[in-house]
Amino acid sequence: MKNNNYSKEHARYLRGRRRNTALVWACRIGLLMLLLGLWELITFCGWVDPFIMSSPSRIAKTIASLYADGSLFYHIGVTLWETLAGFAIAVALGFFVALLLWWSETLRKVLEPYIVVINALPKIALGPLIIIWFGTGSKAIVFMTVLVGVIVSILHMLSAFIATDPNKILLLKSMGASKPQVLLKLVLPSAYPAVISMLKVNVGMAWIGSIMGEYIVSRAGLGYLIVYGGQVFKLDLVMSATFILCLLAAGMYALVVLLEKILIKDTQH
Amino acid sequence: MKNILRFESVSYTYHTVHGEVVAAKDLTFSVNEGEFVAIIGPSGCGKTTLLSLAAGLLKPSAGTIESRGSFGYMLQKDELFPWRTIEKNIFLPLEIRHLKEPRHRERAVGLAQKYGLGDFLKSYPAQLSGGMRQRAALIRTLATDPDILLLDEPFSALDYQTRLNVCEDVANIIRTEKKTALLITHDISEAISLADRVLVLTARPARVAHAHTLDFGDVPPLKRREQSSFSGWFECLWKELNT
Repeated sequence: MKNNNYSKEHARYLRGRRRNTALVWACRIGLLMLLLGLWELITFCGWVDPFIMSSPSRIAKTIASLYADGSLFYHIGVTLWETLAGFAIAVALGFFVALLLWWSETLRKVLEPYIVVINALPKIALGPLIIIWFGTGSKAIVFMTVLVGVIVSILHMLSAFIATDPNKILLLKSMGASKPQVLLKLVLPSAYPAVISMLKVNVGMAWIGSIMGEYIVSRAGLGYLIVYGGQVFKLDLVMSATFILCLLAAGMYALVVLLEKILIKDTQH
Repeated sequence: MKNILRFESVSYTYHTVHGEVVAAKDLTFSVNEGEFVAIIGPSGCGKTTLLSLAAGLLKPSAGTIESRGSFGYMLQKDELFPWRTIEKNIFLPLEIRHLKEPRHRERAVGLAQKYGLGDFLKSYPAQLSGGMRQRAALIRTLATDPDILLLDEPFSALDYQTRLNVCEDVANIIRTEKKTALLITHDISEAISLADRVLVLTARPARVAHAHTLDFGDVPPLKRREQSSFSGWFECLWKELNT
């Protein structure tokens, strides 16, 4: 509701809220500046060895040189592609399998121990197998990404589907609804917030999967830069790649949040 | 008067891994066309089981259930879908039954307008008061023009004030639309203020212990509560419930 005839007290309240938001943002940025400044200072003055710690200015220089020789966007592109492909497949597959398991209780019971075991298994243990099965290209990394995300997606969506209000199911059944109708009219729409939270969880999972995959096999990508940088003791390269990763992961998360806002506006959930 | 619903020596047994529970045994009663029957019973006596049996959601273990006509089921809470507008909620049973002709939707909207929901058709359930939501739930139940309404403690989730009003509301709508209704409740005064006939069930396994025909005629619920015979009925049913 829009109402511009606020009382003075309410206007004061709103001003206070705005001031508080501004303060929080100022502190966030200030803290970042402070940390970067300290980092730069202690390495510049030689209190710690910039060869071990790197420094903000050296990171900037490294990124600039990566950009200059054209490899910056190549490596970003490789990792981003692997992450997004793995993310999309894990989300779609997880959703679909969860639907099947919701549909058939018997299937759910049969597969439960398998899912529990695969969920508990550290996926990195499958590294050698993945290399042998999928080679050392992007395919192996996408597979690793899917592996890391899919089980979590299945469990997340399944618990949302199962949590559908039993009284609402009873209501639909009393109207003579079939199982597909219960699914379409009730289970899917009420699992909608869970889909959004699954996407958020999977952003993190996808980055874990793709970087882990690149650690094991890759010849390009940000994970490769980190491993390579570590092996040849180029800490500037390690820090630069990590910094770019932070930006990309945050950007992807922001996109999901934006998507959530747009969709919620549509449905008044 | 014709029977529209008849239970003939109906038994129902629940099975779980831990054993079996006889929820109803040798249950016999009938509901006539146009009648408002209330069933009261001690808590846990299998009242909801009885409605599920009537609606055909459960099959009796023994005995027969005969019914002529279609059912509308109304639950304790309104169970409106929060992502649908009131209008879309009211259309839900039409969608489920694939009643796609415009006249069905027009009828449903007509009912909503007649009973004061016209301004709220495009609103979401969260924007309505508890009483209005329950009214919307009743209109949804009526949308497919059912012959028998099955009411499963439809007021129990409301606060006392709203409860009296919605009770009045629902009684009025059901009488105006000339519907047959079977109400299940644990609230004795609600049963007396609404019904033409009251059946008292025993504790599990449920059986009809007593049946009373009330003599209020078309007197609406709140007026019934003011009448002198009300407390007499209350006392009588109270005793029967507690024996």
